[in-house]
Amino acid sequence: MFTRFEEYAATQMLGQPDSPPRSEGKLFFNEAWQRTVFGMALALSKQGHFEWEDFRRNLISSIAAWEQDACNGQARWNYYERYTLALITILEQCGVLKPGELEQQMTPGEVNK
Amino acid sequence: MAALFDHDKNREATSAAKVRALEALLIKKGVLGSDSVDAVLSHFETVAGPFNGARIVARAWVDPAYKQRLLDDTPKAIAELQFPGMTGAEGEHMKAVANSDSVHNLIICTLCSCYPWPVLGLPPYWYKDPVFRSRGVREPHAVLREFGVPIPAEKEVRVWDSSAQIRWFVIPERPANSEHLNEAQLAALVTPEAMMGVALVPSPPAA
Repeated sequence: MFTRFEEYAATQMLGQPDSPPRSEGKLFFNEAWQRTVFGMALALSKQGHFEWEDFRRNLISSIAAWEQDACNGQARWNYYERYTLALITILEQCGVLKPGELEQQMTPGEVNK
Repeated sequence: MAALFDHDKNREATSAAKVRALEALLIKKGVLGSDSVDAVLSHFETVAGPFNGARIVARAWVDPAYKQRLLDDTPKAIAELQFPGMTGAEGEHMKAVANSDSVHNLIICTLCSCYPWPVLGLPPYWYKDPVFRSRGVREPHAVLREFGVPIPAEKEVRVWDSSAQIRWFVIPERPANSEHLNEAQLAALVTPEAMMGVALVPSPPAA
């Protein structure tokens, strides 16, 4: 029914535990990196590096893991943090990233800048 | 409290750095093009979204003949506006209904996930809520009151159930005191909620 991958991908998420934040009918991003990571996952799946449903399974697990965290140690909710974790996981699963490769790429100065 | 906020700021910065590093790494590997992210997001930002519906409604407000064509043959009337990217399939099952003095229209979706989002944008989170779906049919006046849209009991509320065959959207009533606005300014007043019938279009501030 959907002729565009973008529409298929977004529609699969709607009404599900991994549905993305939105406002006034549009995707809602607080920060530029959130928009980037959302677009990266879509673009990579569209190119065929992984199945969108496999990525979504990771995202749903990543969200469930946050929900099960103990109240006193629980980090504040951030959808795109979970999304980033899910993307890194799928990229490792499909062999695009080697484990630890991203950490190597991140120079110490990049963190907490 | 201050420490908590500092902590959150650090987390944002860490995530931003992580995503930046990931993007750079994937571009270096040749897995991701430098414009891939913008290309994929442009679909949501400029091709398919509520801005299309708002333009349709504004045109219907300023051009009664267009409004009639929109009600008679919605896909054909939408095609007249030549939206980029809407090349048939997305618009072909759409049907517009118009609010008036005597009728208010409400769009729900009891069965499926059909939603005309090339025109209305991504649906709000409550749209698939089973409570909204069932109460929308059973007691539309009460549901609309909760949305802040009090419809007098004597005014008819027609409830339209979107499906794979027909995807409905509402032409809301043009607000009072909007005579001085041009078509683009009128379009800016139209929200996705108004095109679902769960909101009215408010009057613009006095000129």
